[in-house]
Amino acid sequence: MTVRRALRIFQLRARSLSQKRDLDMELSDEMAFHFDQLVEENIADGMSPGEAEVAARRVLGNVALLEEQCRDHRRVGWLHDLWQDVRYGMRMLRKSPGFTAIVATSLALGIGSNTAILAVSKQVLLGDLPVTDDSRLVLIRSTVPQAPIANNNATVPEFVGWKERSRSFESMGAALGYTEDFGLGENGAPPERVSGYLVTADLFPTLRVQPLMGRVFTEQETELENPAPVVILSYGLWQRRFGADANILGKSIRVGGSARTVIGVMPQGFWFPFDGSQYWGPLAFNRAQLKGSARFFVVTARLKDGVTLKQAQAEMDSIGANYAQEEPGPDQNRAIRLDVLREAWWGWARQPLATFEVAVALVLLIACANVATVLVARGAARAPEIAMRVALGAGRGRILRQLLTESVLVSVLGGLLGVVIALAGVRALVTLHPAVGGVPISTVLLDWITLLWMTGISIAAGIAFGIVPALAALTPQNTVRGISRLASRHALRGVLVTAQVALSLVLLAGAALLLNSSIRLANQDRGIEPRGILAFNFRIPVEDYLRNRGSYRGLPVSEAKPPTLALQRVFERLRVIPGVESAAGQSIAPLNIAVLPRMAILPEGRPVADEDISRGAMDSVYFLATPGVFRTMKGTVRRGRDFSDQDTASTPWVAVINETAARRFWPGEDPIGKRFTVDAVSGERPREVVGVVRDIPLRYVEPFSQPVIYTSYLQQAEMFHGAFANMFGQMTFLLRTSGDPMSLAPAVRAAVAEIDPDHPLADMVAEDEFVGADVRQRFYRAGAIGLFAFVAVLLAAIGVYGVMAHSVEQRRGEIGIRMALGASVREVVALIGRRAFVLVITGVVLGLGGALALSRLLQAQLWGITATDPTTFVGVSLLLVATAAAACFAPARRAARVDPAVTLRSE
Amino acid sequence: MPKPSDLLQGTLDLLILKTLAREPLHGWGISKRILALSNDVLTVQQGSLYPALHRLEQQGWIEATWKDTELGRSAKFYSLTKDGKQQLERELESWTRLSSAVGLLLKKA
Repeated sequence: MTVRRALRIFQLRARSLSQKRDLDMELSDEMAFHFDQLVEENIADGMSPGEAEVAARRVLGNVALLEEQCRDHRRVGWLHDLWQDVRYGMRMLRKSPGFTAIVATSLALGIGSNTAILAVSKQVLLGDLPVTDDSRLVLIRSTVPQAPIANNNATVPEFVGWKERSRSFESMGAALGYTEDFGLGENGAPPERVSGYLVTADLFPTLRVQPLMGRVFTEQETELENPAPVVILSYGLWQRRFGADANILGKSIRVGGSARTVIGVMPQGFWFPFDGSQYWGPLAFNRAQLKGSARFFVVTARLKDGVTLKQAQAEMDSIGANYAQEEPGPDQNRAIRLDVLREAWWGWARQPLATFEVAVALVLLIACANVATVLVARGAARAPEIAMRVALGAGRGRILRQLLTESVLVSVLGGLLGVVIALAGVRALVTLHPAVGGVPISTVLLDWITLLWMTGISIAAGIAFGIVPALAALTPQNTVRGISRLASRHALRGVLVTAQVALSLVLLAGAALLLNSSIRLANQDRGIEPRGILAFNFRIPVEDYLRNRGSYRGLPVSEAKPPTLALQRVFERLRVIPGVESAAGQSIAPLNIAVLPRMAILPEGRPVADEDISRGAMDSVYFLATPGVFRTMKGTVRRGRDFSDQDTASTPWVAVINETAARRFWPGEDPIGKRFTVDAVSGERPREVVGVVRDIPLRYVEPFSQPVIYTSYLQQAEMFHGAFANMFGQMTFLLRTSGDPMSLAPAVRAAVAEIDPDHPLADMVAEDEFVGADVRQRFYRAGAIGLFAFVAVLLAAIGVYGVMAHSVEQRRGEIGIRMALGASVREVVALIGRRAFVLVITGVVLGLGGALALSRLLQAQLWGITATDPTTFVGVSLLLVATAAAACFAPARRAARVDPAVTLRSE
Repeated sequence: MPKPSDLLQGTLDLLILKTLAREPLHGWGISKRILALSNDVLTVQQGSLYPALHRLEQQGWIEATWKDTELGRSAKFYSLTKDGKQQLERELESWTRLSSAVGLLLKKA
């Protein structure tokens, strides 16, 4: 086809659409001209004008039909039909706003939630990562197969060993999470705690990212024992803290108490390995770390071209096996695990996403079923209209198309409302941050693919729920005006209602399980009262008091001169802030401890075998605490006492232990008055146990209890040699107040600034917020599913109501006659109720089956309750039956009020 | 006198195009012209002429303009487009092939 002709045809079609009326007039004129010519010819042949016209009409035939045939060649008829259908459909929808509202809202919920899930899944599966060619990047982790929750980062010897021995990777880099206090800057910004990462020189090349300005680290800058005083800023930090200073490169800034030169700024949107990373420093190992280090290092590697993940995994497996043979030790059971970056970061999101996916799919199904039910009912109401149209010559296909157009219209309306729900849903889903570790999904947007998907499911839903009722409405009318047709329609509605009841029970059961588990978790007795506590972290930079000295039993050993005085000055000042009922501090925040400092202890008067120490039998979690720590947290002191102001550096050293420690180290004895020393710390003196406290869980969800030993922060060796020495410079202060904890914040900041303006307060929170974060997240998830379940139950109830109301309406005559023959109200209600009962019970039984099958998928997300918890299942079944009964109430009452006299008169 | 025979299906388009190749004509004129040129053998039923004209127009082979006739009455005149002229060539060619084939077959059979 030539372009010229294509253009011409396009113009003709456009004109056919836009100037239909003109064209029709032209067509009539054309016919009239032909007719007149015929008449003239006939007159010329000698006919009278009257005869001539009759003859001409005979020759020409049915002009209307002829015109229709001509019009057909315009090939735009279907568009006209569609437009007509749409207008007609709009009119029908406007005429029944109640129907439209119910249908559109149910679909909006179904479509919107599906879209939201899609948007988030898309980010997880396809979203941009801040690195180049991410499918070749792997995170290498060291895992304990028996304890998958255990810390699975790498140690320094592991990293170095992997790097040396492996052949599968182009390059490999390590990163170590590190927060620094950025000091008083040149622009007078207050000190601030900033989280960032120390990275080896090969990390950025591995990621294939280039800085926006400046350069990345060189090998020399990460030389053994000798990190260069340089720093790279994230785009965000550069903008925020340094006012996007174009001349920042080469400037010296104060970081963690020392001067660092800014050598680079990373591009906007870059983060690695977690999206909170705001700066990067050079990671230089020390000799001690090469022999043994903590398990803190995030290792990322890029696969060589042509090497598959499987091959690399196989190679790392054999490296790991060799390693375990060469150096048997506590790490020999570890396995090396490779995960593609995306999987490593977002694999966790699969489970909640899958749960949500099932939930929203169920809601959409129920919504469709509900809409179909309503449409079947409307089909019955519209039977006369449809019969009339058929009688007037409308084709079955034409009517079917028109009915479908109507349902697609409602679903598109639902889809539009769904956009709003999707936007809210995405926001809500994004708040599903994991508590510790993991990369939050923060860059989810609704884009055109998602919107296209939304349009797609709108139309699909429209056709899916429209087709059955439309076909039902078209089943031959008026032929057998009788019971069988009504019965089949009735049966169809019954099936739809049963399906709704079943699906909503599945959803309800899931929601109830999650909610039940969240309530148990929230009500879990944590042994302290977090409400009313303001908590914040205060830290003296490690550079000020700590030097690395080697390693002992696989842990880094440092030499530290605890900066006790600096902490004491802040503590004493905090105690006198007006409004603070009591103040205390603990070296690490309670209830959310990712890394636990552990010390081996040696009870006095009892020999401990070396091997017991090396296998960790004498290990205890070790906290430094201020006086009044248990009083402030409202912990329970079972025996003995809390730390007091009488416990000073010059009084005998004391300790408070938890019940698990008491059982572990002094089984069957009274621990009060017992003495012990902390192993492998020089300058350590024996400590006397003066109190036993009830266990305070160390994490949100603590699967088992651990021994914990609390010692006074004032009673520490002046020069400490050992592991976890960085605990000495930090304190999480807890301030109990009777009012809103956060209202104290300004006074607290001012007070600390008075004493120590150089060190920032970090992570200031109301403790109950802090403790509640994980529980809230679970509640939120349960709540979201619960909301879906609520919608589903509501829809099911509407469905039950619709079927019952309709059946009462249809059986009005029958009921009237029965009552006239002496049936009691109770019998009539039973008659109506029996059908509802059968539908609902069938639905409940089917639903229970489905729920039992599906809830197993939830098991991993439950706490303190099994996925087949009988109470929950019975409870939701009863709830659903009660709701259905309530939905039957109005129709049953209407049935009971049927007046036999009226019926008899009308029959 | 034998009845004018109905047009063979499919040849109508060819006849219309060929007729319009000489000069623009209205529908009435086309039917008269075909009748005259075929010595009153071929008659075109109005029932098929107008749909055919509209089809050819929508296919872009012919175009229409409203003009006054010699008697001063406004009528819809059809004329060939450039693409229509090429189409006529193609249809003529295939017609010739078809008719000679049919002729050959009739002669030999």
